Amino acid sequence: MSIKIRYLAPIEAAITQIEIWWRSGWGQDFVDRHLSPRSFALLLLQKDPNLWEQLPGNRQQDLEQLIATTQAQISRPISLEIAQARQEFAQAIEQTTLAEPNPNQRHWGEKIHKLTVNPISGFPILVLVLYWGVYKFVGEFGAGELVDRIETFFEEQINPVVNHVTEQAIPWPSLQDLFAHEYGIITLGIRYATAIVLPVVATYFLMFSLLEDSGYLPRLSLMLDRLFKAIGLSGRAVIPIVLGLGCDTMATIVTRTLETKRERLIATFLLSLAIPCAAQWGVILGLLAQRPAALVTWAGLIVGIFLLAGFCIDKFLPGSAAQFYIELPPLRLPKIRNVITKTWVRMKWYFWEVLPLFIWASAIIWVGRLTGVFDWLISGIEPIALALGLPKETAPILLYGFFRRDYGAAGLFDLQQGGQLTGDQLLISAVVLTLFLPCIAQLQMIIKERGVKTAVLMVSFIFPFALAVGYVLNWGLNLFQISL
Amino acid sequence: MDCHQCHQNHGSCGSKRSLRWLPFSENLTRPPIEPGGPQIALVGMPNVGKSVLFHALTDTYVTVSNYPGTTVEVTRGAVTLGDRAVSVIDTPGMYSLLPISEEERVARDLLISESFGAIVHVLDAKNLGRMLSLTAQLLEAELPVIVAVNMMDEAQRWGLTIDREALVAKLGVPVVLMAAARNRGVDQLREALADRLASTSVPAVAAVG
Amino acid sequence: MNDLSTIRSSDPHWIVHLETQDDAMLRKLTALGILPGNQIAIEQRFPSYIVTIGRTRAALDRETVQCIFVTREQRTDANSNSDSAMP
Ligand SMILES: Nc1nc2c(ncn2[C@@H]2O[C@H](COP(=O)(O)OP(=O)(O)O)[C@@H](O)[C@H]2O)c(=O)[nH]1
Ligand SMILES: [Mg+2]
Repeated sequence: MSIKIRYLAPIEAAITQIEIWWRSGWGQDFVDRHLSPRSFALLLLQKDPNLWEQLPGNRQQDLEQLIATTQAQISRPISLEIAQARQEFAQAIEQTTLAEPNPNQRHWGEKIHKLTVNPISGFPILVLVLYWGVYKFVGEFGAGELVDRIETFFEEQINPVVNHVTEQAIPWPSLQDLFAHEYGIITLGIRYATAIVLPVVATYFLMFSLLEDSGYLPRLSLMLDRLFKAIGLSGRAVIPIVLGLGCDTMATIVTRTLETKRERLIATFLLSLAIPCAAQWGVILGLLAQRPAALVTWAGLIVGIFLLAGFCIDKFLPGSAAQFYIELPPLRLPKIRNVITKTWVRMKWYFWEVLPLFIWASAIIWVGRLTGVFDWLISGIEPIALALGLPKETAPILLYGFFRRDYGAAGLFDLQQGGQLTGDQLLISAVVLTLFLPCIAQLQMIIKERGVKTAVLMVSFIFPFALAVGYVLNWGLNLFQISL
Repeated sequence: MDCHQCHQNHGSCGSKRSLRWLPFSENLTRPPIEPGGPQIALVGMPNVGKSVLFHALTDTYVTVSNYPGTTVEVTRGAVTLGDRAVSVIDTPGMYSLLPISEEERVARDLLISESFGAIVHVLDAKNLGRMLSLTAQLLEAELPVIVAVNMMDEAQRWGLTIDREALVAKLGVPVVLMAAARNRGVDQLREALADRLASTSVPAVAAVG
Repeated sequence: MNDLSTIRSSDPHWIVHLETQDDAMLRKLTALGILPGNQIAIEQRFPSYIVTIGRTRAALDRETVQCIFVTREQRTDANSNSDSAMP
């Protein structure tokens, strides 16, 4: 009953040879392995890198020899012959088991597919999707409408109550500050997480889920492949990058779907340098909404740095951009239930990721203020802020920015509400915070995925670079006496 | 990169992440998995419906997307087969036993390093011919394969029919036609799994004929 | 025999040869069903190539498409080593 594919005679001979070696002791290298010797033989013949490196050197030589003699007897690469034999087997089975009594029945998805990938209609569709999905829905609705409402609700309904109750319940003012007042866990940490970050992230994930369930994302990949090639990436990297506009930590995990080490490295680097997460760009969009010139400059700068950084790293890193291939599944109508579940699961993930950090931040700030370390740090950062042309009130925000970029952005939001920043200053701090160190969670993920060395290298580039860009920007704005 | 190892430490990894200092109750309501009992893996090319099927079998949520390459880690859950709970694993897609990308390696390494009572090869009915080449490799590896031909609803809409009996005869393993997203065929798959596990639980009987 | 990027028509062509020594490239093409003996059709060329192989649809870049050599007519010789004279 067991089926067996017959490969070309020289390949079968090589398989037999490896099976003999296998029985004479090679198999012991792979004890506890659950594939058949024939299967191992075929993988070794195709030089499976992982199995290969488990073989002792002398066996590697034997095998090398065997592969060479086998290859000499056939004209095409061994792996191609093997693939072809399997394919013929598979196709033969399809022929007798699958019938197509009514060919060419396709549905609406086909027409839309054509529209989304044709350059004439495809690029306008891409722009529309980004404009409506990202700018209008996430930016204006999520970061504007929703944040305003929840934030106002917090400021007017929750904070006064929390402050009042805390003052009644806790007699010591310094302990009151842990929960309430300007930097309290509830009045600051939880407020940032639920009122400022959550609405933006929720709307972004909702939009992303709709895009991915419809099957539009691989089409987006193919539309952008050429552009991405210029920055050392293939179109496949479009998906993690777009996801990064939601949450860079999640996106760093998803870079695993990229094929080469080089591509994963570039994608990880660009994600941490120039892709702001939804919480961050959402807040910044809200901040700069009243100043279109500053908004356009910010967006232009970040996009420019994204492209330029990619272009440079592509030039300096050995190797070349990975080849692009992606399957295009049929477009499907998103299933509302799946979209909602998925958005919910992602939000939950994000929220549980963010909330503890925000609470910790408040607690750390509290300890820092109590012990004076906070003031000391801030007085250390103030000169940097001043050098960037920022008022010294932004120093704490830069400090938060170390912790999480979105936390910093949320702090900026507070300052702006207080009317303490000029357009130029808003722009500079927005740019610096966008480029700043990745958030703690993302840093953890970079270490896990790319290793400590890479993480340290990235961080030690990104941090001075962000400040340098801020400095140059301030200098330029002053030089041309531009005020936005 | 190492995430296929998570399952040795935690119940699951991937889409779930709990607040570190709050107890999380996700796994409390499920029937306990027999320790040392058989496990089931769902494997197949990307975007064929493995995660939808996993969700249908286990009620554990995993990311489902209409594009290749979303599951980057393995996720574990429990499927109830009759009165026993069996551990089942959702894997990232793989095109062949020889991995192309990092995420594909996860699934392959799992197949090499762990023993399974059943391997469900999920494939897309519309692309049967292309996908059966992976079935061939799984059979070559003498793994206990069950073939799940998924997306039958879409195949029907495209005007395709599939002869299940003939497939069984050709492949010599159980074949289930299904549409996981419509919950069609999931019960048949459960039965096939229960049969397979019953027949392989006697260790002396070899799985391959 | 021409490489696929030079084909102007959208009719299916027969794949006769994959011109690459790169195992990773072969694996990718194989994964998509792009193998000698199968038919492939070009749907679109810009901004990326879109091809269909049977009921599979995929997007590829130029370098990848240039490895795929096709003919309009099916080779009649049954021997799968028919292109053994290739350089
Ligand atoms: N029409 C139809 N779509 C399905 C079916 N099963 C899965 N899908 C869709 O196929 C896509 C891929 O499913 P997923 O489970 O993520 O595939 P995976 O990559 O194999 O885990 C999703 O958009 C699903 O909604 C099915 O039986 N019928
Ligand atoms: Mg999946």
